[in-house]
Amino acid sequence: MALWMQIISGSETPIYRQLVEQIGGAIAKGELRTGDKLPAVRALAAELVINPNTVARAYTMLEQSGLVTTKTGSGTYVSDPHLRHADAAEINVLAERMDTLITRAVNLGLDRQALTALFEKRLAKFAGRLDKGNAENG
Amino acid sequence: MAEIVLETKGLTKYYGAGIALDHLDVRIPRGCICGFLGRNGAGKTTAIKLMLGLLEPTAGSAHLLGCDSTALPPAVRQRIGYVTEGHRLFRWMTIARLEKFQQAFFPKQWDGKFFADMIEYFELSKKQKIKHLSNGQRAQVSLALALAPNPELLIMDDPTLGLDAAIRRQFLEGMIELITRQGRTVLFSSHILADVERVADRVVVIDKGVLRADCSLEEFRTSVRKVVLHFDNSVPADVELEGLLHCRRSERQLELTLVGVDDAEVAAWADRAGTERFDFVEMNLEDQFIEFTSPPHRKRLFQWEEARS
Amino acid sequence: MRFLALLRKELRESLPWLLLAGLLLLAVGIFFLRAHAQVSEADGWQYHRGLSPGQTIDKHRLLQNPNLNLPAIWLAFIAPGLGLVLGVRQFWVPLFTRTWSFLLHRAAARLTILGAKLTATIIAFCISVGLVWTGLYWYACRPDLFPIPEAPQMLVNGWIYIALGLLVYLGTALSALSTARWYTSRIFGLAFAMLVVFVTLAQWRPVSIAALTVLAFVTLLSQTMAVFVRREF
Repeated sequence: MALWMQIISGSETPIYRQLVEQIGGAIAKGELRTGDKLPAVRALAAELVINPNTVARAYTMLEQSGLVTTKTGSGTYVSDPHLRHADAAEINVLAERMDTLITRAVNLGLDRQALTALFEKRLAKFAGRLDKGNAENG
Repeated sequence: MAEIVLETKGLTKYYGAGIALDHLDVRIPRGCICGFLGRNGAGKTTAIKLMLGLLEPTAGSAHLLGCDSTALPPAVRQRIGYVTEGHRLFRWMTIARLEKFQQAFFPKQWDGKFFADMIEYFELSKKQKIKHLSNGQRAQVSLALALAPNPELLIMDDPTLGLDAAIRRQFLEGMIELITRQGRTVLFSSHILADVERVADRVVVIDKGVLRADCSLEEFRTSVRKVVLHFDNSVPADVELEGLLHCRRSERQLELTLVGVDDAEVAAWADRAGTERFDFVEMNLEDQFIEFTSPPHRKRLFQWEEARS
Repeated sequence: MRFLALLRKELRESLPWLLLAGLLLLAVGIFFLRAHAQVSEADGWQYHRGLSPGQTIDKHRLLQNPNLNLPAIWLAFIAPGLGLVLGVRQFWVPLFTRTWSFLLHRAAARLTILGAKLTATIIAFCISVGLVWTGLYWYACRPDLFPIPEAPQMLVNGWIYIALGLLVYLGTALSALSTARWYTSRIFGLAFAMLVVFVTLAQWRPVSIAALTVLAFVTLLSQTMAVFVRREF
């Protein structure tokens, strides 16, 4: 089922956030495609041995950012990319994450060119998803 | 508002002159998995035994499924599963005999197939005698005996003490299996905070017999925070801030552990203290628990002397 | 249903001890009877040494003759011994193995649990020493086998000791359940029961002994019940 999902217990990152990140990552990389059904809350909870409320919370957060939609009685599905949006707060978080990244690069001694090259190389992995992305967000 | 399955009001227990539990007020709603946390000797076992009517309170009361704990009728006990650390069972019995014994008390609700499945899953045989089982295997039998009657309320007092990681995981699986059924509630105490974080959605923290927290896990996780403030010049000597748990300082940094202090208050305090640079440090549940239950402003036991380098 | 399950468990746990007591009594009894049979055969089946043929038998005097009594005195040791052991097994051992909380959380009232233990003990006494004693009496009184006269008083004496054994059981249980220290009130239960046994051994008056036993039984039982219902585990 959801064999690729891993929960690290005892981590600083709350479990629901680990789920959000992993599912989000899978969607971003194209491993989960539009229309794919996410595991049922109870089933995923049983498989990962975590509280079903935690799974429900993660799904709710994903739905709030438009990554998935829940159809009552049916399940939760990866939604159409065009429905996604990002609010200012989330973009701030993203910016902070970028700072962390750049800090590490600077400490490792990378210059602007090396960093950009590395970035482009990693971008290639997501190529498909990025080019089809929302036109509204800047 | 969810129904309250477990409630204590001013629950107090004295042993001679010493207080084991001091006016505990706890309310646990139906449908949650509640982690009972506290350091050794904090009063968790005392609280649980009081709730189950194994001890008599010095003052106050406890109610389980609406009934007074000191007078739990058998009909109510049938709805409650109880597992303790050590898993003391009758050593001379075989698993099959123990099943028959247990079953006699739950005539209508015993799930024989579930019990058999669990025993098989644990790679045990019903013919084995309890005295020939290892600690871990006894715990497994104990778990099966507690889950097979499909209890409404499962209370576990440090059930995985001294057991290996695989068995701990099995207990967690058992809890999740139970909670996915309608209207079930689990209360368990544990020292393995990673386990608690996995499955609990509520926490109750008891410290030296006193209730320190009774909230959702989420609330606890977001309330106990660590912030590091960076100063250009000297670090303030006195730190006055409501909700301060601990404070550590180095040459140019001040590390504060806070509870119930929001971002705005931190920013305001930092401003008054003379700095704008501060970062929040994420902690895992274990670190949060340690900070929350350690005596305040205590020097670290082992001080690394920087002068040595 | 619940009571039966509890009863079955208690009986099974008491089994080795009741078998031991029963077999011990049986062994002692058979040994005595065989020794006695040799004596009486040598005597030519005379009822009483020194009695000439045709003389009537004074049953009361016969009972004074230790050679002709099935000595209930054995039971004075075996029955209280069994009572002590069962009291320990049912009330002390769970304290050491810490299985009380498991038992007490079963869906049964505390008095039901206590009742099952007591019933099991009564059954244990009846089917081990009780049965063996009665069997020995019946066997010994067969005129074609032994010269021991039939005297129900002998049978009753034995049963009085069995009742004392039950008393010692209750005393042991009460001592186990008490939460006081050993050298204070905790010893009360056991000491009281032992006292009654010694009084019985010292001065054999069946009627007053029987009355004393009943009184002691009621006292110890009510105390045990009161303590058990409220005790903390």
